[in-house]
Amino acid sequence: MFYPLALLLLAVTAQASTLTLKSPRFAVSDSTGSQLRGEPFSLTSRTASPVKLGARENLKITFQVVDKEDEKGVQPHQTFIRFYDASTGEEGIQPVRVTPGGKAKFDLNLSKPPLYLPPTSDEPLKVSLIIGTPDYDPLSVQLFDLVLPRSQPAPVHPDEVVFHPRPELYHTFRPEQKVPNKFISLVFSGIALAPWFVLLGLWSQVAPRATGLFSPSILPFIASLGAFEGLLFTYWLKLRLGDVLLYGAILGVVTVFTGRQALSSIAAKRTQ
Amino acid sequence: MAPTKTPAAPSSQNPVVSLWKAYNQQTPDRLKFIDAFLFFLMLSGIIQFAYCVLVTNYPYNAFLSGFASTVGQFVLAASLRSQVNPQNKNEFKEVSPERAFADFALGSIVLHFFVYNFLG
Repeated sequence: MFYPLALLLLAVTAQASTLTLKSPRFAVSDSTGSQLRGEPFSLTSRTASPVKLGARENLKITFQVVDKEDEKGVQPHQTFIRFYDASTGEEGIQPVRVTPGGKAKFDLNLSKPPLYLPPTSDEPLKVSLIIGTPDYDPLSVQLFDLVLPRSQPAPVHPDEVVFHPRPELYHTFRPEQKVPNKFISLVFSGIALAPWFVLLGLWSQVAPRATGLFSPSILPFIASLGAFEGLLFTYWLKLRLGDVLLYGAILGVVTVFTGRQALSSIAAKRTQ
Repeated sequence: MAPTKTPAAPSSQNPVVSLWKAYNQQTPDRLKFIDAFLFFLMLSGIIQFAYCVLVTNYPYNAFLSGFASTVGQFVLAASLRSQVNPQNKNEFKEVSPERAFADFALGSIVLHFFVYNFLG
């Protein structure tokens, strides 16, 4: 429980050196070199009015990084100028070259706009300075606002559309098939059953003598065939495939025996 | 064997009538029995197909199974008839009429099984 408290005390009593800037200054000049606006900036207060940069103008930032106590020049490990657009969340960061004595110079020439600048939106860019180096407190301070001329909009990635909700899909299905008119159905049912009457009529004329049909050697065969048909009809109504195959196998064995008996008796009668 | 009728003298009427007369007189009754069945199957198939074309094929599986049952049964019965016909005895030396009927019965049962499966 005392461990974080001890760490805090240690941090407070540690060598907490601060950096500051000596003679920080920014200047806006146009393409001919004449200065349009030049003023110092400070770490403690933001420059009130935004800095406007035209299409061919140049922004130059100069400063020297020094230790706060003894005013000696320090070359930090990391020095960045950051351009941040709050409305879109885009930022551009550029490292600044600092000499071993701490002197730094940063140029932004809009005749050749650098690629790290975010696309211009309605809000001005917030320009801040970020410095990081061991043995010193880090520094991240907003300096001033920058207004850039209009730019091309940010390019849209071809896969961008995939990351947003897509339009809803509406499937169209084939319309339901309708049962035809009841009267037509009945008429055609009658027509479809008519061949049965034709068959019965024809058979009544040419029926061969069925004397042997009910003799004890042939009747079981006829009965097993009829049972097969009955089994298939019952299968259509309520049985399942496994059942019908099982019953069919049993009935098939029976039919084989009755069939051999029946057909051999007929064959014997024929060859007599 | 069923008795065959003695052939009559050919008439001078048009060929269809004489063909019909010859068929009636020369075909044994058993074969006529099977022929009636074949004719019935043909009629049934034609009517089902005409209904499918004219009105609707709505339960398509039902149409298919009905039509296939008539066609399949026609094929089986036609093969039975040709195997049982005593005039074809030289063609089917190894197949006795009883064997043909057994084949017909087995084939019909298998056909009916598939038709019932598809009928739905």
